[in-house]
Amino acid sequence: MRSIYKNSLWALLVLAVGACNLEQEIDLELPVYESQLVVESYLQPGEPFTLLLTQSAGYFDPFPTENDEFLEQILVDDAGVAILHNGNRYELENGLFFNPFTLQVFNYGSTETMPEDFDNDFELEIITSGGQTATATTRLLAPIGLDSIIFDGNNTADSSVTALTYFEDEFRESDNFYRFMIHRATLDSLYSDFVFSDRVVETSTIVVGTAPDFEVGDTLINTLIHITPEYYDFYNSVQGAIFSNGNPFAQPGGIISNIEGDANATGIFTTLQIDRVTSIVE
Amino acid sequence: MQKNPWIIWLFLLIGVNSFAQDKFTVSGSIADAETGETLIGATVFIPSSGEGTVTNEYGFYSITLPAADSVTLEFSYVGFSNELRTIPLRSDQQLSIELGSGIKLEEVVVKANSFQEQLTSTEMSVEAITTKEAKLIPVLLGESDIIKTIQLKPGIPSGSEGTTGLFVRGGGSDQNLILLDEALVYNASHLFGFFSTFNTDAVKDLKLYKGGFPAQYGGRLSSVIDVKLKEGNNKKFSGTGGLGLISSRLTLEGPIQKGKSSFIVSGRRTYFDLITRGINNANSENEDFNQIPDYYFYDLNTKVNFQLGEKDRLFLSGYFGRDVFGFNDDFFNFQFDWGNATGTARWNHQFNPKLFANTTFTYSDYEYSIVNTVTGFSFEVGSRIRDANLKSDFYYAVNNKHTLRFGLGATYHQFTVGRLQAGSDDGDIAFEAGQDFDGVELGAYVGDEWTATDKLRINGGIRFSGFSNDGVFYTGIEPRFASRYLLSDKMTLKASYARMYQYLHLVSSSGVSLPTDVWYPSTERIRPQTSDQVAAGFSLLLGDKYFLTNEYFYKWLDNQVDFVDWAELFANDNLEEEFAIGKGFAYGMEVSLEKKEGRLTGWVGYTLQLIRRGEFEPVDPSAQFQGGLAYFSPRYDRRHDLSVVAVYEINRRLTATASWIYGSGDLTWLPSGRFTYQDIQGGQFSAVVPIYSDRNSVRLADFHRLDLGLVLKFFPKWGESDLTFNVINAYDRRNAFFVFLEPEFREAEDDNGLPIEIPEKITAKQVSLFPILPSITWNFKF
Repeated sequence: MRSIYKNSLWALLVLAVGACNLEQEIDLELPVYESQLVVESYLQPGEPFTLLLTQSAGYFDPFPTENDEFLEQILVDDAGVAILHNGNRYELENGLFFNPFTLQVFNYGSTETMPEDFDNDFELEIITSGGQTATATTRLLAPIGLDSIIFDGNNTADSSVTALTYFEDEFRESDNFYRFMIHRATLDSLYSDFVFSDRVVETSTIVVGTAPDFEVGDTLINTLIHITPEYYDFYNSVQGAIFSNGNPFAQPGGIISNIEGDANATGIFTTLQIDRVTSIVE
Repeated sequence: MQKNPWIIWLFLLIGVNSFAQDKFTVSGSIADAETGETLIGATVFIPSSGEGTVTNEYGFYSITLPAADSVTLEFSYVGFSNELRTIPLRSDQQLSIELGSGIKLEEVVVKANSFQEQLTSTEMSVEAITTKEAKLIPVLLGESDIIKTIQLKPGIPSGSEGTTGLFVRGGGSDQNLILLDEALVYNASHLFGFFSTFNTDAVKDLKLYKGGFPAQYGGRLSSVIDVKLKEGNNKKFSGTGGLGLISSRLTLEGPIQKGKSSFIVSGRRTYFDLITRGINNANSENEDFNQIPDYYFYDLNTKVNFQLGEKDRLFLSGYFGRDVFGFNDDFFNFQFDWGNATGTARWNHQFNPKLFANTTFTYSDYEYSIVNTVTGFSFEVGSRIRDANLKSDFYYAVNNKHTLRFGLGATYHQFTVGRLQAGSDDGDIAFEAGQDFDGVELGAYVGDEWTATDKLRINGGIRFSGFSNDGVFYTGIEPRFASRYLLSDKMTLKASYARMYQYLHLVSSSGVSLPTDVWYPSTERIRPQTSDQVAAGFSLLLGDKYFLTNEYFYKWLDNQVDFVDWAELFANDNLEEEFAIGKGFAYGMEVSLEKKEGRLTGWVGYTLQLIRRGEFEPVDPSAQFQGGLAYFSPRYDRRHDLSVVAVYEINRRLTATASWIYGSGDLTWLPSGRFTYQDIQGGQFSAVVPIYSDRNSVRLADFHRLDLGLVLKFFPKWGESDLTFNVINAYDRRNAFFVFLEPEFREAEDDNGLPIEIPEKITAKQVSLFPILPSITWNFKF
């Protein structure tokens, strides 16, 4: 009897909240917005130089009605793009570079690959069709490696296990920034993704744990990326901007970009050092 | 000579008349005959000469009169019968009075001079509320709340709808000095700001200063909220309480030694958790059921007081309150607690008929703690601020033209800021962050209430403050001035100026008060906040029943704290690098019309104001503050704010109440642009990333709301009880709590036939907090 009463109370509560209809569509006028260039370029040693150059739009601007118009609308294909390094100039040609393995698209790329040089800066130079410039500088970081991945299922009643990923933070003399991802089986099935700094870590061993969401036989892809401080800030600002829309407790902010110049551009030009390990839960 | 200018000033103020032999002083206290509670602001009037005074916040009065064979004194207080006493005056007299209500308080005896003290006092920009008013006016879910009631007065808008945050005359929510029996309360809210920590049953009265701050107050820029707890009935044992939809409360009070000492104990607890636990238990076998976390809050107030003799009185009071939020299952053990504890030991001593002293030791403690344990690992984050304060305040009625107030005090602050500890149970892995600070805050003041002529009265004062932390010592000189000029017996002009220093800053990035907001001290790079406020206005008695006030103010704010874009407020060893320091200003006008007498009472309050912040520069030059140095409106820059409150006593049993509020819509910071973000391989593609440009550039729709209440009283043999019916948002207005822009997508396929989502359109959506919300509460008193 008591259960029936309590269940009824809960049902009544849910019904009341639903019936209240506290969310409604409204008309709103946003401030005038001037379109910006958006740069995304992630350099990896041994890989060709690639860059995605798009343009932003007003928040309420209409989207294309046809699917294939989407890229056409956002890509900027009439700029001159080059990367300068150690006295060399790498011109990035305009084109549609689609990588079927990574499922990524870039509209500027080179045939030359990025040299593994930790000492000299890589500089980006973009000149728009109107003659404005966008520039940025980045540097290659030291490689990093995942140490071990341990699956622990001892503390739960059912068969699910947690995944504990260990790695050694070898660069204690300065602040370092990392991005960590876990995918299930394939890289288009993201389970976990976040960035962090080693500023608050007391020990050289860092471990990242998960909830007991995995079963024996599951395939996990663990990715650890050594990232630049500029990318750390950019990533946080992008995720923060997405998260702020719809959260009354969040404080919005601007996108933190390392792109400079008079072309009114935003985005990120950075290097990545990636280590990726695939494992099967046993 | 030059080394002691203030001593000379004091002597000049005191003057020669005070020691004349042909005058004597009558002094004492005024209290409620029924309960023994001292009455604050009760009037002592000499009909033969027209002279008078009022009791101070401790119920003490002192008046010096020419020697006479007999002199008649009239004692009065709103809601009580007047008391006339005729005494011979050939020596100083000690005369403590108890006023009786004569008839039941519910029938509200209000004398024609109920606004007289407001009219003639130098105090301006002050709002007061009684617990009786707070209990009558309709409130959310029937929980009477004295802070929410004071928000209905002009110049005190709330933050978000339904919350207890106060943004007084353009000030931030951290710029309010909230005192509970003189102890500082750092976070005066429960449930993320929807309820205040003050249990109305235990509160004696509340006074809020918006400007013209007396010199005894310091440490915050924008307001002083002085909450006094009841002392406890020293005549008879009694109790009050209530059963509501979300909480119950009980207050017991009575004499320890009749007429000499008393106690009061008051408690309140919510019972959301009892309901949710029942639901969880009922669904324990259901694998698809997601457990509802436990949440409850409680408050406990207690106070004892002892009359140690004719001239000494000792008070001991304490408050303890907690919000508890928890979630447990096989894997997670999550506990989030926060709350305040305060303690006050207060000694009142009357040195002589003119000199009264109050010495207080207070302790305040606010902390929050989040503990999360996951198999083999634990995570704990928290912050804490603890204060120990000792101060003495003196009240010296020099003569009938000068009343001096002076005092000094010191506060020892202990801060634990953003303490994070995490790691494995075996200790192999450990994370740690946080900062500890110790600070000492000092204050000394002197002020004189000077009746210069029959028409002109001036309250001038100065406060010296200082703050020491980590080898840095800041000092502040804070002049205070308030005056009134009687144009007639019905109209007064008033003006004031106050400079304030604030040495502590609240680390809060939201318009809503959150328990995780952290207090941070001034340091070498974070200078104290300051404000200067001027105000002028008039008060006008319309007939005997209506009181009109109209004030204009301008406030300048310096060293204001905001945060750089995407500030990391948790787990940060150098939090101040996330700060940006800027300026601000606010100006506006407030008008209120109040009626206290008759069956229909209430007020209409209106505020017109403009608030700006700007010139923000990040402490860390490499950080970004969107908008740079440009001035912008903070979220709470509400141009118009109107409230209408009415209480109508239909008969002895039935009282109807209503309040209607109207305000300009809140400002909100919405994105103006968007871009498509591909991210790295395996990352998070996002077709719509918002670009936020100008801060708070969108004003939401105006809000308005009508709340209704009906109080039905019963008079059983054992005491009194009532049923209070409230309807919040009676005409079901959907006011915006927040707005978001929602992209909508359509399903499509890429060239490889894989499903993809293509953005189609973006719609603006508004979320409201309250639909029409009825409630019922049963209250009792014996």
